[in-house]
Amino acid sequence: MKVLVPEVAHYFRVALATPFHIMAALFGSTVLRRAWLGPSSLCCRTPGAPVSAAGLRFVSNAAPEDNRSPIIESTEEYKYVERLIPSSRIPTPPKHTGPTPSGWIPPADSPPSLPYMIRRSRMHNIPIYTDVTNSNRKLTLIRKVEGDIWALEKDVRQYLQEVTGKELPTQVNEVTMTLKVKGHFDKELKDWLVSKGF
Amino acid sequence: CSIISEYVFSLPLTPQFASSFSNESALPPNLLLPTNLVDPDRLKRPPPPADSSLPPLRKCDAAVPAHLTPVQTWVESLERQDSEPLGVAQLHPDVFAVPPRLDILHSVETWQRNYKRISHAHTKVRSEVSGGGRKPWKQKGSGRARHGSIRSPIWRGGGVSHGPRGPTSYYYMLPMKVRVQGLKVGLSSKMAQDDLHIVDSLNIPTPDSQYLLDLIRHRHWGESVLIVDVGEDFSENILQATANLKTVNVIPAIGLNVHSMLKHEAIVLTLETVKFLEDKLLWHDERYTPLYPFKLPYSDFP
Repeated sequence: MKVLVPEVAHYFRVALATPFHIMAALFGSTVLRRAWLGPSSLCCRTPGAPVSAAGLRFVSNAAPEDNRSPIIESTEEYKYVERLIPSSRIPTPPKHTGPTPSGWIPPADSPPSLPYMIRRSRMHNIPIYTDVTNSNRKLTLIRKVEGDIWALEKDVRQYLQEVTGKELPTQVNEVTMTLKVKGHFDKELKDWLVSKGF
Repeated sequence: CSIISEYVFSLPLTPQFASSFSNESALPPNLLLPTNLVDPDRLKRPPPPADSSLPPLRKCDAAVPAHLTPVQTWVESLERQDSEPLGVAQLHPDVFAVPPRLDILHSVETWQRNYKRISHAHTKVRSEVSGGGRKPWKQKGSGRARHGSIRSPIWRGGGVSHGPRGPTSYYYMLPMKVRVQGLKVGLSSKMAQDDLHIVDSLNIPTPDSQYLLDLIRHRHWGESVLIVDVGEDFSENILQATANLKTVNVIPAIGLNVHSMLKHEAIVLTLETVKFLEDKLLWHDERYTPLYPFKLPYSDFP
């Protein structure tokens, strides 16, 4: 039976992590095979006493544990992780006096004095969207309307009459406060609303 | 028939409450009036006007949009039954003055009822009923109708052909923003119908249930009251007072839901609850779409 010297014992504990066939090539003894299989066969023996059941006793098992310093938790490095955590709120855009280079135009400081109000989306854009159904039906949708939606519908119809010269069918949904217009007019309507100051 | 209908329509249409005893009141004792009739006593103190000169006890923390004005309500106290309101509080219009979307309220209420539902109704199909593997009699010659098994659905004791199958789950999730909008619509509806009351704190002088009932009766708050406070620790008095009452309930602010709001006639919020609700509900208007679930840490989660 091999007697383990203290300096070799910690090599053995590290070697427990290596595969068995490499360990067998290194040491090549049946005693070690029994000791290796002892702690690994957890189903048939209690994990509390694998070493004693295998017949080997690590002489220096307790000694290295006592000489180690206690674990210190340091919280100074947390800031390196905390600065990587993303924000959940959309920031308000910085103050711009006119149109920005990307084409985004901020809303007017005071809302225009009209009977209706169209809020900006959460990304601070005009809430006008286009839709295509059955590949030939085009719709323009104006969302987030507050106030008198019928006045907005009248103004939209009149503006599009001037722009296109056609009477376009519109649909007002008073419950969801949305306005649908037949055709794709998102660019024109967005410029028109921005010029009004929404 | 037309003669009878003419006679019926010529009778006076007012119901006669006259009784044979002259000293009894005109109304019968078992008359049940609906509780949501407008009570003239409730109209005694109107809500504070928008341009009242009183300094508000509480202002909105979040920025109010320029085209909207904050909602103003009285802040009351539960200390004494007949105490005057302590002051005026301003509430954010995007939480307490949202347009009344009854369709959202309906969908959130049905979702709350159905998403937990698991129906355990189960019937056996012809293959699951015991027996029925053998052909009962030969195909031709016996004179009887042809059958393949004694457990087919047309037989007595046979399986059910299109019955309920096993535990069925009715789980589905409404989008988070719809559920949030449901809470906002519920709070706004209660505020618009004068059923929302703001209170500075939930300290009551006695742990007596009758005190609360008398207070609610005196202030004409309604039949049932839902009291909402932030935090897990409530004062002992309010817990003891509401413990035995079926119609007056105390819940923490995270437990506020549309079903409870609709079930109770009046809702009482404290000032901290209002702040908590405004923070949580207004965050959804200005948040990004989740990069990872909101359960994991974000730097400025409300």
